[in-house]
Amino acid sequence: MRIMLACAAGMSTSILVSKMEEAAKQQGKDYKIWAIDQSLIEDELGNFDVLLLGPQVQHTKRKVTRLVGDRAPVAVIKPVDYGRGDGAAVLQFAEELIEKGE
Amino acid sequence: MAFVEKFSDGLNIVAEKVDENKYLNSIKTTFTIYLPFIIIGSFALLFNTILTSETTGLARIEFFSFLTGIAPAFNAINFATMNIMTLAIVFILGMTLAKRNKQNEMLCGLISLTAYVTVIPQSLTHVIEGAEEVIAGLPVGGINASGLFIGMILTILVVELFSKLISFDKLRIKMPAQVPAAIANSFNALIPMMITLLITAIGGRIFVNMTDTYINEYIYEILQAPLEGLFQNPIGIMFIVFISQLFWLLGIHGGLIVSPIRNPLAIAALAANIAAVQQGLEPTQSVTMGFWMVFVVPGGAGLTLCLIIASLISSKRKDHRAISKTALLPGLFGISEPVVFGMPLILNPTFAIPFTLASVMSTGIGLFAINIGFITPNIVDVPFGIPLGLSAFLGFGLNGVIVQLIILALGTLFYIPFVWLANRQMKMEMAK
Repeated sequence: MRIMLACAAGMSTSILVSKMEEAAKQQGKDYKIWAIDQSLIEDELGNFDVLLLGPQVQHTKRKVTRLVGDRAPVAVIKPVDYGRGDGAAVLQFAEELIEKGE
Repeated sequence: MAFVEKFSDGLNIVAEKVDENKYLNSIKTTFTIYLPFIIIGSFALLFNTILTSETTGLARIEFFSFLTGIAPAFNAINFATMNIMTLAIVFILGMTLAKRNKQNEMLCGLISLTAYVTVIPQSLTHVIEGAEEVIAGLPVGGINASGLFIGMILTILVVELFSKLISFDKLRIKMPAQVPAAIANSFNALIPMMITLLITAIGGRIFVNMTDTYINEYIYEILQAPLEGLFQNPIGIMFIVFISQLFWLLGIHGGLIVSPIRNPLAIAALAANIAAVQQGLEPTQSVTMGFWMVFVVPGGAGLTLCLIIASLISSKRKDHRAISKTALLPGLFGISEPVVFGMPLILNPTFAIPFTLASVMSTGIGLFAINIGFITPNIVDVPFGIPLGLSAFLGFGLNGVIVQLIILALGTLFYIPFVWLANRQMKMEMAK
């Protein structure tokens, strides 16, 4: 499973990425998880199975959803999970999105 | 609550519109791409100060005096990044817009570049012993940061015009079917390119004949210079910071929303400072990207690090203390999101006042420190993500660190009463 996160510069989101990787490892899952700047989403189309937006770029969701189309589900990470760096919760959120998407 | 909802919907729509606007978004992307070059260019000057200068650098020591010899190399890096800035921006913006218009990116970048050069002066007048001599060359004033606004406007017009022209079937050169598609395509762009450049070149020439100034000089005077003035004005910049914080209050990245207007102006300010110093003058433009990073948003937009410190000192709420602990380290690097979303601060009435106003206050303090001459406007820009203290030191020296510490101390004092308020609110909740 390939989970891509996007935020303003990819910085604060990368904190969450390492937390998610930790959680995935603990659960014995081999996922690819990474963060990018939201302006670069277009270049990654097709490279991810689910796209999670940081809440600080929630206002781009409609545009991004249009851009990604049917390729993958797009959702905004729950602000509190994001802020508290709850890797396991966000990981589960991503898994649910993919299940629902398919 | 009806007002809060309306207000939050309204700002959300603005944020969405700014983000979806093709031109604003492309300008933002363009400057994001070019920003590393600005940083490198200004760091080259830092190397001069600490290495090659005979008064402040390592070169003042006899043994290292050979270092003065490489000063021209550092100056060359600075020139190559700062003084041709508009050419680079025009090229990148042309490519970025082409991508949005689904046109050939490289081609549109180059058309934008050539179109821009058609409207600016292409010669310099040189006076030798009273005799004027005209030399071919692009004057720095046409290609450095003073050209940013005309460059961006022209590029938008040029790419739109070209995209329109190339969509007309009649302007395509018909090739026999045996001609490879790649060759046919490059020929097909020829007539639209020609028309585009004719329009800019003739338009530029007519403008010079009518007004006796070049359009880049004119746009600088009537548009860019006033905007720069507004941006450097304390009220102007404090207003921009306030707007940015209002977006943050909704959980939207405020810096991202204001960046299409902030970044060109902040970068032009840095370029003006560097130019001043190289002419032996004092830098005068206070508000640069470095200023923003060091004094407007130290410890996170809204001085969230101060809230973290205030909470660690006097919060009685376990959840606030816990999130403050985890958010402390990111906060030292200027990352505010953990506390913004973890506390959370979004539409949080308890902390709304300091969260929207703390950065306005710190902007004022930074400007005041420059105004009284305690620090000088920076020529070394500081990228996002440099830890506190070091960021201030790189941009503004030791006095900059002091100003940053004063800001953090005052910011903490600003937040503390609101932390008490949160304590009281919790007590009242529990009493219920």
